[in-house]
Amino acid sequence: MRTYTLTRGRTTPRHLLGLETVLEHGPGRPGPGQAEECERILALCRERRRSVTELAGRLCRPVTAVKILVSDLLDADALVVPVTAPYAATDTDADARPSPQLLAALSAGLKRKWPDAMAHPQAG
Amino acid sequence: MPWPTPRPDDPATVLRTEPRPHTVAPTVLKVVIAGGFGAGKTTAVGAVSEITPLSTEEYLTEASTGVDSLAGVEAKRTTTVAFDFGRLTLPDAPVPLELFLFGTPGQDRFVDLWYDLSRSAVGAVVLLDTRRLESSFTPVSFFEDIGLPFVVAINEFDGAHRYHPEQVRTALKLPARIPVVACDARNPNHVAGVLLTLVDHAVKTTPTINLQDA
Repeated sequence: MRTYTLTRGRTTPRHLLGLETVLEHGPGRPGPGQAEECERILALCRERRRSVTELAGRLCRPVTAVKILVSDLLDADALVVPVTAPYAATDTDADARPSPQLLAALSAGLKRKWPDAMAHPQAG
Repeated sequence: MPWPTPRPDDPATVLRTEPRPHTVAPTVLKVVIAGGFGAGKTTAVGAVSEITPLSTEEYLTEASTGVDSLAGVEAKRTTTVAFDFGRLTLPDAPVPLELFLFGTPGQDRFVDLWYDLSRSAVGAVVLLDTRRLESSFTPVSFFEDIGLPFVVAINEFDGAHRYHPEQVRTALKLPARIPVVACDARNPNHVAGVLLTLVDHAVKTTPTINLQDA
């Protein structure tokens, strides 16, 4: 089975990565004997930051396999998880939803990008 | 927000002289677009995404799909599910934002993926083809159950009978507070309008910090 070979038999990523976790290239170099896919991941992340899902989509590999390879690259410092502004009011809450401030920023950003777009008025 | 687990500093990296760029990445927000087969999810994602929607695969194992009628009948079984991914940057927003769009099919077997996608999401759009109303039942109940803000968007296909949003609301037994809107999934302005409707709805349903409960 090709995916199994790709991850060298591993089925669980070492790092806790979400589908939306964003990666950027780091200063480290991966060790020898890495899968060819690791080079592709690094090349993609050198161009711009990419999410785990995007990497999986571009490599045409299952998300879990890509998470395993990304974990290797994080360990080698070849990839890093960039610092982002705080996502929600409470980071500790697993179900934390975006703060009202972020939602307002999203609304403003969408309106600037599509000035002709209209929110449908809703009661309530 | 998931983070890689901390690890001790690698001594090999300490000697590095090249300064590490200290950049702050845009904040990522997620929206889930769910709908039945052929409801226009990929089209809707593609209408506003800056990249051609990517089809991404993930494995779901029996162990992670929870209670299943097959449990105990078959040994651990792995199924593959595919979902769409698109993204757009909003550099002109008051804070730099990147919006991720996840398009996911509406069948029961995707529920495990929906949990993953819904975590910390802004909300969900249930995209509807009025010729196949029943395919939206599962996602509607799911998002209601987990309390994720969602809107129902009727994709008005050429030649399909136009139902009034209120007729759809009645058919789906949706409460008045859930927005039901019509759109053309090919039209970026329409899709952006649906997203704005969702954001407005999410603002209304975001619980403010309740000090009384503390």
